[in-house]
Amino acid sequence: MKERAFITLTNGFKDKLYRLAKRLLVSNEEAEDATQEVLLKLWRNKKKMAEYKNVEAFAMTMTKNYCYDKLKAKESGNLKIVHSNYKDERPSLQREIEARDSLDWVGKIMDRLPEQQRMIIQLRDIEQYDNAEIAEMLEMNETAVRVALSRGRKIIRQELLKKHNYGVV
Amino acid sequence: MELSNIEKLLEKYFEGETTLSEEEKLKVYFTGESVPSHLERYKDLFQFFSNESQVTATSEVNISTHRVSWHTWIGVAASIALIVGLFMTNLLPGADPEKGPLLVMEGDLGTIDDPEIALQKTKEALTLVAKLMNEGKKDLVYLNEFDTAKKDLVYLNEFQDAKNKLIK
Repeated sequence: MKERAFITLTNGFKDKLYRLAKRLLVSNEEAEDATQEVLLKLWRNKKKMAEYKNVEAFAMTMTKNYCYDKLKAKESGNLKIVHSNYKDERPSLQREIEARDSLDWVGKIMDRLPEQQRMIIQLRDIEQYDNAEIAEMLEMNETAVRVALSRGRKIIRQELLKKHNYGVV
Repeated sequence: MELSNIEKLLEKYFEGETTLSEEEKLKVYFTGESVPSHLERYKDLFQFFSNESQVTATSEVNISTHRVSWHTWIGVAASIALIVGLFMTNLLPGADPEKGPLLVMEGDLGTIDDPEIALQKTKEALTLVAKLMNEGKKDLVYLNEFDTAKKDLVYLNEFQDAKNKLIK
């Protein structure tokens, strides 16, 4: 496979890999590293690529595994890294800030979900894969995917309700 | 879409039983304008989902592992062959019979047995080195320029004085 063909193939799902990595690792830089790493690995194994039924799903699984490894390494190294994506944003109108804040809340709620639920919601509600595809990517069975999806969504609903009623999360 | 329908769909959604197309309907509904106040809290959720699907990596992913073209390798091989070739012709004993082999045979290191002559020879060698050293050193006179230039920089002390005053 030529480099150009590979790039066109991976461009179709590159951003999805990035978003999944970002959902798990939170930091932009680490997510970019993860994407780069996964694509490089794919490129090195390009000869085997024909054997994979679904390259996209395979790449997603690789991303998941890579992020898990990263998270585990962080835990065992007893490192606590505070991810802050510094942004230089000019102050905008009060309403815009408020709107963005409440969307940030949703993001924060999601970041507090267990990793598996977080990934499933990411893949289902954001990337719109169906449960069978998610099951393949995450190496789970479909029922487990559905259960985790429902659990994750319910936690989000609960947190949203709390925030709505008391203004705190 | 009817409100009751939406509420039913929402319930199904949280049970994880909606299809992708039903979820799409919810998304369209909640990112729209007319959402009744008791459902407003879900607006953020669906807005968040549709925003997040637009996020893209900022840096370009680069997979091209820097590959050296075969031209370069031919060049490298040719130069190695050339260097090796040059050495070989010089080093091979008998290649140049007039000068004799450049390679000194083992055991014959030019050792002198008589201590007098050895002293003489050593002195000769050392004077030669010393002479060459002195010649080389002459060319370094211009280094004195640094010293003269440094003297001109005395006024930098003014800074020091001013600084000291500031500290007080």
